[in-house]
Amino acid sequence: MNIDKKPFSRDILHLDKIDEVIENICTKLKEDVYKRFRRYGGVIGISGGIDSSVTLAIAAKAFGPEKLLGIMLPETDSSPESEFLARELANKFGVKNIVENISGALDGFGCYTRRDEAVKSVIPEYDPGVNKMKVVIPQEFVNKNMPPVHFVSVIFQDGSEKRARLPMKEYLQIVAASNFKQRSRANMLYYHAEALNYAVIGTPNKHEVQQGFFVKYGDGAADVMPIGNLYKTQVYQIAKYLGVPEAIIKRTPTTDTYTAEQTQEEFFYQMPFETMDLLWYGWENEYAPSEVAPVMKMTEDEVENIYKNFARKQKTTEYLRTPPLHDYYRG
Amino acid sequence: MKDQIRNFIAEITFNDPDVIKDETKIFDEGIFDSMGLLGLINFLESEFNVVTEDTELQEENFGSVERIAAFVERKTVAA
Repeated sequence: MNIDKKPFSRDILHLDKIDEVIENICTKLKEDVYKRFRRYGGVIGISGGIDSSVTLAIAAKAFGPEKLLGIMLPETDSSPESEFLARELANKFGVKNIVENISGALDGFGCYTRRDEAVKSVIPEYDPGVNKMKVVIPQEFVNKNMPPVHFVSVIFQDGSEKRARLPMKEYLQIVAASNFKQRSRANMLYYHAEALNYAVIGTPNKHEVQQGFFVKYGDGAADVMPIGNLYKTQVYQIAKYLGVPEAIIKRTPTTDTYTAEQTQEEFFYQMPFETMDLLWYGWENEYAPSEVAPVMKMTEDEVENIYKNFARKQKTTEYLRTPPLHDYYRG
Repeated sequence: MKDQIRNFIAEITFNDPDVIKDETKIFDEGIFDSMGLLGLINFLESEFNVVTEDTELQEENFGSVERIAAFVERKTVAA
């Protein structure tokens, strides 16, 4: 065991010198964008969520608000609250902001029709005009030391819900069609970035990067990711420190991808952020389950199973984090 | 049957069938992800006419070649 390793505790991720942490991020951000990439500023896709909000707040501190552009990118399925909160955020930090509605582009790609066709083949009574849908991992399939199995859930007008397990073809079609959303947003962000000679400032946090909760060349497309190595609880800590609006801090993180409301915990992470942060830290830094379990009020077997799930997630999503491979010829 | 299952798992995980022993824990290896599991469910249905119920998606039934074969046998006998 590393003798410098701190004993595992619930406050092990707390940023004690938060001003220094932010200052260091800002310094590196300026070096990378100005000196390395030679861009004049940054564009950020803002959703009213905590990650894009903290990214904007940090970037505004680094570059100054006049060298930033916040872009809201709603589409047919987006919650109106997202745009409202994103505008409130940009105004608070004095950042110019615009709305680019991508629904027309998504229609053109067949995003909605391709997705709905796959849902209807599993739940024929689904009517996309009036019903809502989402993709879920039911709680009973969590922590089984098995890869997650996804279900589609349709919510009918009377509030009743029907769930069905997704076969491979339909699951892949729903995911592929939905990913048009993030990729269309990336296209629009790069349009504005190139038109201004700015860099695209990406918004994923550490979990999204490491567990592969992003779309390759979608929200994973960016030139820099200032919070990409921060845990979610640290993102919240910085949000409070930098004065991100309270309504954004209190908002439950959602996917804002499907027509039905869905939290990120329900769709992907399967455990609260506070718990996941600590367990990921424990796993990544090789804390033994016997040390972590009592702090987390879990059994060693539970911690062991979660460690295995983390390892599997990181390994199976390596493809997403890998840039194009090009070293095939070494002449 | 075990060899059919082993060969299928080897094919979709890009592994040599020899490295997948009867008792190898396929989920612990980190090579068998959601796609692999969904593919296996399809394979059992098309190859052995075995339909997997949601409640049967357990490590006890799918954790190794040995367990998958036993699961198929139980389902076939029950049918």
